[in-house]
Amino acid sequence: MVTVGFKLPGAESRPPSCAQIGTFMKSRMKKLLMGLAALAIATLIWLPCLHLVFARPPAEFRQDPGLSPKARQLAARHLRLWTDPALREQELNKMRASNAEWDFMGRSYLVWSLANMCLRDPASQPLYLRTMDQIIDETLRLEKEQGMYFFLMGYAKERHYLVQPAHSLFLDGEIALMLAARRVVEEKPEYKPLLTERVNAMVGRFQKNPGMLLESYPDECWMFDHCVALDAIKMADHLDGSDHSALIRSWLAMAKLKLVDRESGLLISSFTTDGIPLDGPEGSTIWMVAHSLQLLDEDFARDQYQRARKELGEITLGFGYAHEWPKSWRGQADVDSGPIIPGFEISAGSSGMAFIGASTFDDGKFLTALAATLDFAGFPARTGGRLKYCASNQVGDAALLYAATLGPLWQKVKTGGKP
Amino acid sequence: MIKLFGPRLAFFQRAEFLSAKDMLQRAMAISALFLAAHLAGLREFTSVLNGTAGSLAVEVKLGTFLALIYILLYLAFVILVPVLVLAAIFLTLWQRCIQKEENSRVTPETSSGRPDANG
Repeated sequence: MVTVGFKLPGAESRPPSCAQIGTFMKSRMKKLLMGLAALAIATLIWLPCLHLVFARPPAEFRQDPGLSPKARQLAARHLRLWTDPALREQELNKMRASNAEWDFMGRSYLVWSLANMCLRDPASQPLYLRTMDQIIDETLRLEKEQGMYFFLMGYAKERHYLVQPAHSLFLDGEIALMLAARRVVEEKPEYKPLLTERVNAMVGRFQKNPGMLLESYPDECWMFDHCVALDAIKMADHLDGSDHSALIRSWLAMAKLKLVDRESGLLISSFTTDGIPLDGPEGSTIWMVAHSLQLLDEDFARDQYQRARKELGEITLGFGYAHEWPKSWRGQADVDSGPIIPGFEISAGSSGMAFIGASTFDDGKFLTALAATLDFAGFPARTGGRLKYCASNQVGDAALLYAATLGPLWQKVKTGGKP
Repeated sequence: MIKLFGPRLAFFQRAEFLSAKDMLQRAMAISALFLAAHLAGLREFTSVLNGTAGSLAVEVKLGTFLALIYILLYLAFVILVPVLVLAAIFLTLWQRCIQKEENSRVTPETSSGRPDANG
């Protein structure tokens, strides 16, 4: 009978009666239920409050005028990378082991950020310009010495580019935008022919191709790359007095007609040179596309942002994040989307790029919620005034820095301010 | 020595499951484990979340495993620990209220029951 694995109070000498066991079990069950109820109440109180621990005012991420504290800390870390070759090599090797594109895009985002920072913080302009020049010169050198495949993913070599000689709009557009951004801040005569040459080459290919779709990879065209390239062409017009507005208008009209997903109204991410969709609308592309479009067609840009915000953006319990695909589209997780967290369908790639969209269109509520998620799940690490997000990498942090600083460069081009 | 530390060490003795003390012990254990993982530098490995190796000196599988450990401990630290501490506080207050209620119920019964029994 006394197989019960506990001692009843006052039952040292006699075996416990059924009534005693019953009372004990009842009291034990009551305590367990009380414990569970306390846990449930605590959970219901804590979960909705959790974001308050990480929520900061939007000005901590992006402020006008000047530079936000977070932008300064992120920039300090990137500037350190470009003054410490060993540290830079270590960071770039880590990224290149996964994706050579990230090495290149990390450079582009940093140069574009520094251009905006020059305009936000003129006192530090000499340092920023020096770093921009260093990055641009090294990137051009690597492209020349190693060839364009150095900054492309391995599969670029598996097929031939349809248009020969082979060019990647991904590289040409971003390099042209780096050169143009530098020149918008302060003219550098050595960069003028380099920009003109690259812009003329892109314009020539746009004009030769009846579909106006240029390859980034063999028979693979990207919306992101087209918008960045058109931004660079627009900036070259601003700098050098050329006029490619007709080309830009034609391209936008074509994109609105042929490259929009019917269900969501969002621009698709990738397509063949014939305009056949490869990927549908994607968060890792559309937020930057909306930002790029702001320089080309303000209304269309805002429309794309609002659609993306509705289809992809979410705020749950105060934390902001973004999906990679709208509900009407099913895609496969890839190097751009990053891992997709099941249940909430959170895409690391889309959520990171959403900062650029939210910042461009002054969506303070979404930006604050995204920043709360970043501090909660991005694993920030601060040392000596430098900030990095451990869950991110150099290109991710550079894109965040761009989101925290963007604005003045576009503004200067749109308002016609000359260097 | 045992006499000196006895009362302090008593806190670390196994408490009744889901009691306030049990919850606080669990919260402390999670915090200690998280602190150890943090000081060991496992935070760096969380870059696997975007597909980048945390360190090229460590194999990808090991890096992913270390990142997973850190992420789970971190989530437990920021979500579970406050829940456990709050629950322990609620439980203690709740039990005190019940105790008070029982005491106040017992006192009038015994004081009013005696004359009846005697009578």
